Amino acid sequence: MTDTIIFVLAGAFATATPLLLAAIGEVVVEKTGVMNLSVEGMMAFAAAMAFAVTYQTGNIVLGFGLVVGASVALSLIFSILVLGFSANQIISGLAVGILGLGLSGLAGRNFENLTMMAPANLLLPVLSDLPVVGPILFRQNVVTYFAFAAAFLTWWFFARTRHGRITKVVGEEPAVAHNLGFAVIRIRLFAIIFGAVMSGLGGAYASTILTPGWSDGLIAGRGWIAFALVVFGTWRPLRIAFGAYLFGALLLGDLAVQATGFSVPPQIMTSLPYIMTIVVLAAVSRNALLIRLNAPVSLGQNFRPSK
Amino acid sequence: MYQIIRAPLLGAVLSMSWSGALFAQEPLDVAIMAPNAIGDVGWDHEVVRGKEVLEERFGDKINVTVVDSVGEGPNAARAMNRLVANGTDLLILGSFGHMSDGLALAKRSPDLKVLHIGGYKNLPNFATFTTRHYQTSYLCGMAAGYATKNQRLGVVAAFPLPEVLGILNAYVLGAQSVNPDLKPVKVVWLNAWYDPARARSSVGSLISQGVDVVYSLFPGSPSAVAAAEEKGVYAVTTLSDNTTHAPTKHLCAGQANFGVVYADVVQSVIDGTFEGKDTFAGVAEGAMEVAGLSKDLTDEQRAAILSKQDAMREGSFDPFTGPVMNNDGSEAIASGKTLDTSEIKSMDFLVQGIDSQLQN
Repeated sequence: MTDTIIFVLAGAFATATPLLLAAIGEVVVEKTGVMNLSVEGMMAFAAAMAFAVTYQTGNIVLGFGLVVGASVALSLIFSILVLGFSANQIISGLAVGILGLGLSGLAGRNFENLTMMAPANLLLPVLSDLPVVGPILFRQNVVTYFAFAAAFLTWWFFARTRHGRITKVVGEEPAVAHNLGFAVIRIRLFAIIFGAVMSGLGGAYASTILTPGWSDGLIAGRGWIAFALVVFGTWRPLRIAFGAYLFGALLLGDLAVQATGFSVPPQIMTSLPYIMTIVVLAAVSRNALLIRLNAPVSLGQNFRPSK
Repeated sequence: MYQIIRAPLLGAVLSMSWSGALFAQEPLDVAIMAPNAIGDVGWDHEVVRGKEVLEERFGDKINVTVVDSVGEGPNAARAMNRLVANGTDLLILGSFGHMSDGLALAKRSPDLKVLHIGGYKNLPNFATFTTRHYQTSYLCGMAAGYATKNQRLGVVAAFPLPEVLGILNAYVLGAQSVNPDLKPVKVVWLNAWYDPARARSSVGSLISQGVDVVYSLFPGSPSAVAAAEEKGVYAVTTLSDNTTHAPTKHLCAGQANFGVVYADVVQSVIDGTFEGKDTFAGVAEGAMEVAGLSKDLTDEQRAAILSKQDAMREGSFDPFTGPVMNNDGSEAIASGKTLDTSEIKSMDFLVQGIDSQLQN
């Protein structure tokens, strides 16, 4: 029984990592008032690239490095459309996302159904050997620690720093930010690039560490889950981290329950994460104030600085 | 969403590459359509690998074209129409989901012959076939029964459909036939044909239950096999030899050879004796065989497995021969009785020794 619980609680960190990385990227983008719907495509493209490069060179750091570059390139297309030409954010995001999915199939075509070994998890002296707590908290991959640290740093950035507040103003009232002398477009550009890098890392993690292998459709909706997590966590990074962990645990709970031979209709277990999402969203929506306080007012609206 | 971009590209490529085929008279034009991108193992790999068998056997008497990544949906109908317009004589459809579009096309084009893998509907010019995976599954079950140290087997399976239940039951019967101490077999249903992340997690979940041989039963990707290798437990799998994904821990695979069936059908088209019938091909026809047996099995164990395979080939042994008990305690197959094809294809029970319940 303990083994089953450790399996779920430890595995949830790993399962949550790609969701959390992408969601943290997206929350920063949305906080500046830009709705980026290309997360799924960005993750897929990054996943294919990361696997292809790592498989060929055996160097996972190089894989992650190139992914950062590729994601930035893809996000620049989105930035040019949205920030340069004031194109509709939803349509542009979907278009770039579809492009990313298409490119992922192209980049991964020669790597279809290949697998490789995942890099070993971090082992910390003493801590990793602790009973129960050790395997749950201290035998994770370094990217997992990075993801949860990123959630904390993002919270700190928005709550405690001057730049964080400026970023929020850009998302609330871009005209005011502009009149106060802040470069709205530049701040939005940086946010979009940051978001792309994070979702790229999430995709790369999925194809090289979480499920080390590539096949078309590997990302399987993780980008959309990350997108939903932002709303689920009402644009608050620590809540998003909690939501990602909960989602990861529920996904594994299904497999763990089945393996014990316990008889629960599998359809119920499989749909549990989604049911939970709906329940939490409904609960969150009941408190309209909470959403209004945290949702960026100008989300989805383009801003053109008047000359 | 990927399909949206792929469709026009596909159309362009098809029309360019086969415009010449219109004028060719002599060779038989065979087209194979696979639902996903082609990997080095797995369903689509096997669907397309049949091409090699055809080319080896018929040489320049046939002309084989392969189209991949055409899943169920409007693209499938478009791709089929295009292939037929380009003069395809025999269309081999590699996805269950191609059934309704293929049937509609076969009705419209009486000169066309269609061979559909995995379906259950026939027309005079629409044949179907499935392979007896349960036979090799029994043999791999023997290997698992020999190899397990904890006496605990685990299975990661796609959907609880009759075919999958048959494969699972045969596997457990095979393991029990050589290992009387086996503990109840653990099963995780993915309820998906393709979900590499959950397939991989399932392996971890089974290992946390003490499982030391994992059977990856139609999970759509080699990720469960790779995860078994990584975690140091044996891997058994369906469809293809997965040794490349588990170099040290590959225990056994039920290798499918669709090409054998393709070749028979092509021959019947050439001879003018094509029938819209259903074929259920197995070890006897050469359509199934065990592959990738682990070096860790002793010579005696391997010989026992192969001699069982020979017995299947000769028809002197069938895995579903009674008495077999249902895991709810009732009798599933009466003593002395052997299930016939339709009973195997409509299997709706789990045998004794499987720690899982079917939901109705």
